Amino acid sequence: MSEEYDVTFIDRDETSARFLVRGVTPAFANGIRRAMLADVPTLSIDTVRVIENSSVMFDEQIALRLGLIPLTTPDDYRPDDTVTLAIDVEGPDTAYSGDLVSSDEQVQPAEADVPIIDLKEGQRLELEADAELGYGKDHAKHQGGVAVGYRHLQRVAVVGEKSEFEDEEPRILRGVIEDDGELVDTEAFEHDLTNRYPGKELEVTDVPNAFVFDVETDGSMPIDDLVLKAAESLSTRADELEDAVQL
Amino acid sequence: MMVPVRCFTCGNVVGQHWEEFKERAREGEEDPAEVLDELGVERACCRRMLVSHKDLVDIVSPYQ
Repeated sequence: MSEEYDVTFIDRDETSARFLVRGVTPAFANGIRRAMLADVPTLSIDTVRVIENSSVMFDEQIALRLGLIPLTTPDDYRPDDTVTLAIDVEGPDTAYSGDLVSSDEQVQPAEADVPIIDLKEGQRLELEADAELGYGKDHAKHQGGVAVGYRHLQRVAVVGEKSEFEDEEPRILRGVIEDDGELVDTEAFEHDLTNRYPGKELEVTDVPNAFVFDVETDGSMPIDDLVLKAAESLSTRADELEDAVQL
Repeated sequence: MMVPVRCFTCGNVVGQHWEEFKERAREGEEDPAEVLDELGVERACCRRMLVSHKDLVDIVSPYQ
C-alpha cells in the first residue's frame, strides 16, 4: 500500500458524512467499511430484569426493543463493562426511550422519542436493564455504523460531440464524480450525465485507488469517532497478527 | 404491534418518527412522501417501515 493517502470531506454533519479517500487499496477500503460495521463496539441493552410488565407485549419483545435503542458510548468503556438503566412508566401513557434513567450520565439513549410500549389504564412497565459494550459482529444492535458503503470515484471526460442523429440515452451515475479536477455530487445534475453534457460523447473511468465513502451512525457516537475507531481497530488487529506470526 | 425501533434492512433508527408521521400523514391530509422527506427518512427500506406500519396495541389490549 502506498504511504500517502488523502481524505476530503464532501458532506459532513453529526450523524452522516460523505468523504473521498485517495491512495488506499480496494482491500483497505473494504476493511474500513467492515470495521465500521462489525469492529467498533457500542453500548446496548443486553440483559433485562423485569419487575413488572403488565403491558400487551411479552418481556422478551420489550427486551428486544430496548436492545435496539442506540445508547451514547463514551470512549472510556472497555469490553464487558456494564451500565445499569431503569425505566418505570405507569399507564395510561407511552413509555419512550427517553424515560430510561441511566446510572452513568454519559450513557443516554441517543434518541429520546422512540416509543417502547403504549400502556393502557392500569398497565405498568418497570424494569432494570444492563447495557454491555459489544461488537457489531456479535449482534446488529451493537453496530455503530448504519448503511456504510463506498463507491469508486469516477472521472468524466468529454471526448467529442455526438453525431447529429444519434439518440440521447440517459447516462446514470450515482455518488460523486470528478470532472476536470472538481468533485461534483451527481445530485447536481439529477444523476444523469446527459443533463450536464447534452449532445457530447463522454468517457467515464474509475479513478484508481480513490473511494467515496458514505457513512451514517445510529447516534451512539459522532461520525469522526466511528471512522477513527474503525481505522484504529484495523491497525490494532494488524499489530496483533504481526506479533502472532513473529518467530 | 408497536412501530419497529429500527429499519429491518439497514438498521437506521426510525421509531422516533412514527408519531409525527401518523399525525401528519395518516390522520392528517399531508402526502406521506413529503412528510417522510421532511423527517429525513431517505431510503426506501426505512420509508416502508413507517408507511406499512399498523398499531395493534389498541386492538389487542381488551383481551389481556
